[in-house]
Amino acid sequence: MKKHHMRRAFFVTLVIALILCCFLAPYAWIVASSFKNQLTLFNDVTPLSWKAFLPVGGTIENYQSLFKRTNVLTALANTAIVAGGQVALTLLLCSMAAYSLTRVSFPGAKIVFVLILLTFLLPIEALMVPLYQVVSGLGLSNTLLGVMIPWVASPFGLFLLKQAFEELPVELEDAARIDGAGHVRIFFSIVLPNVKVPMLTLGLITFLFSWNSFLWPLVIVQDPANQVIQVAIAQQGSPTQLPNWGETFAGATVATLPLILLFLLLQKYFTQGMTTSGIKG
Amino acid sequence: MADVSLKKVGKTYENASANTIEDLSLDIRSGEFVVLVGPSGCGKSTTLRMLAGLEELSEGEIWIANRRVDELEPRDRNIAMVFQNYALYPHMTVAQNMSFGLRLAGMDKAEIRRRVEEAAKLLDIAPLLDRRPKQLSGGQRQRVAMGRAMVRDPAVFLFDEPLSNLDAKLRGQMRAEIRRLHKRLKATTVYVTHDQVEAMTLADRVVVLNKGKIEQQGTPQELYERPATRFVAGFIGSPTMNFLPAKVVTESTRPALRIGEATIPVPAHKAETVLQRVGQDIEIGLRPEHFLVDGPADLSATIDMAELLGPTTLVHFTLAGMTCSAMLPPELAAPEGEVQSLRIAFDRMSIFDPKTGHAL
Ligand SMILES: Nc1ncnc2c1ncn2[C@@H]1O[C@H](COP(=O)(O)OP(=O)(O)OP(=O)(O)O)[C@@H](O)[C@H]1O
Ligand SMILES: [Mg+2]
Repeated sequence: MKKHHMRRAFFVTLVIALILCCFLAPYAWIVASSFKNQLTLFNDVTPLSWKAFLPVGGTIENYQSLFKRTNVLTALANTAIVAGGQVALTLLLCSMAAYSLTRVSFPGAKIVFVLILLTFLLPIEALMVPLYQVVSGLGLSNTLLGVMIPWVASPFGLFLLKQAFEELPVELEDAARIDGAGHVRIFFSIVLPNVKVPMLTLGLITFLFSWNSFLWPLVIVQDPANQVIQVAIAQQGSPTQLPNWGETFAGATVATLPLILLFLLLQKYFTQGMTTSGIKG
Repeated sequence: MADVSLKKVGKTYENASANTIEDLSLDIRSGEFVVLVGPSGCGKSTTLRMLAGLEELSEGEIWIANRRVDELEPRDRNIAMVFQNYALYPHMTVAQNMSFGLRLAGMDKAEIRRRVEEAAKLLDIAPLLDRRPKQLSGGQRQRVAMGRAMVRDPAVFLFDEPLSNLDAKLRGQMRAEIRRLHKRLKATTVYVTHDQVEAMTLADRVVVLNKGKIEQQGTPQELYERPATRFVAGFIGSPTMNFLPAKVVTESTRPALRIGEATIPVPAHKAETVLQRVGQDIEIGLRPEHFLVDGPADLSATIDMAELLGPTTLVHFTLAGMTCSAMLPPELAAPEGEVQSLRIAFDRMSIFDPKTGHAL
């Protein structure tokens, strides 16, 4: 019996380790390569050797030139502002919209909700051109606000929070009304504190989405001073030269690091969000 | 403390076909403990929520302490409410839960502390003040919910089935506690339940609701002994009243009732009413304790089943085609399958018109 269990545990661990390796290998390669010069980098992959995944013959030249030559720090700061702003606006907007769709009954509420959800199905690529027209028409092209504004009305966020509000007993709000709280007070003092986890989850997912977004910032921002990190990395090579891959990898590492830290910090909520949004709905 | 009156109150929910409450008038004296009781869906919660201001009236008026309140916000009505699921704020401690309303009202901090501590002491929850609702048992949550209502020092307490989430033993304890608190605070109380035992034990006055209308109101004893309708008779009392079809006959010019094979006399105070219905069918209602085993037997029946309850034995038998139950002293109850002779305490029975269901 016990032996059987041990063997089972061993196989499960083995499988998990294998899967983990598949996922981690590219990242290990990126990080390792960011510490190599162009020549070592290519030598380690032709033919592919284990050295490719370890920073052997390490140099920090790539990082030095990255910070000296490019605007990666500005881009990081821009991205932080965009992601932070997008999280704050998304949370505010989605929570208020979801709350009114759950608790205020008005004619056509269901249809409104379904229509909002339908926009979820449109691929971002299909929205690029009309979005560009609207946002630049508002005079927001080349601004950080323009980068975040189209995404703050998130149907996914609305959906996630609506589920959370529906699970909250209405009597809490009744009790608060009797205690003398008005709508705004009830929303901020009673309702929101009781949906902390879904709010955090939505905040995290929004942050991730915003941090990694590439296509939209590429389209709406031309001014390098207002560029976000993903675009900045992609554009760092000059058009006339071969890209310096070590430097690109250093950029990718720098861009990923904040996300990894955030993830380690809030892992619990992140996985919770993935499972609740996927299965429980 | 305050009088409460509902004047011709009506409620029709949007997208509901029928009226939930119709033409309901009720006067509650200051300090009175009134229990609204009735089957599920009869409109008890709706009535209470209209009193609280959580639900708008479709018709009529509500007055509390000589002030018309039906257009006022809940906070301006001087009421407090205890909910079935307690509705404690999960993210606040017990003390914060109790003081939320007072803090919103901008009350002085020291006064809030004093009130919370006083209520906590009275309810025996003083050691729990720093806990969250999640860390409390059902009974403790119930006390906190009551504490939250008490610190407001309201003119009227509203309870919506506050005990139905507790187990039977705790329910009995809390019932006694609520009664004790009411004696002490003397606040006007409207208490909703579908449990007639709660209604009987707690109320100064019971109001029986059926399909959004008042079926009968009175002291528990009045309702028990003189139900105005068959519905009230069946709803109040446990085990329930036995209903038997009977025919009015005359026996040497005196009216009598024929129940199956047996003929029993009519109590003197009912004789006149019954006399007008000679030859007609009526329905009689007998509570389980209205069957006696002493004295001359009126009828006999074969016992189908006997339940030993301890102080009494509940026997079930068939009479005039209806299943009946009687509460007998254990030592005199016949065992299952044997014939039991029974006397009927006919002076205590109820008589109903089978068509209208009204008591005669
Ligand atoms: N918000 C609402 N919208 C429409 N109909 C409602 C609403 N609330 C209650 N009703 C209906 O009104 C009727 C009375 O409901 P109410 O909650 O007052 O019953 P109750 O006597 O409290 O029953 P219970 O003992 O089950 O709590 C029911 O038929 C119910 O379906
Ligand atoms: Mg109810």
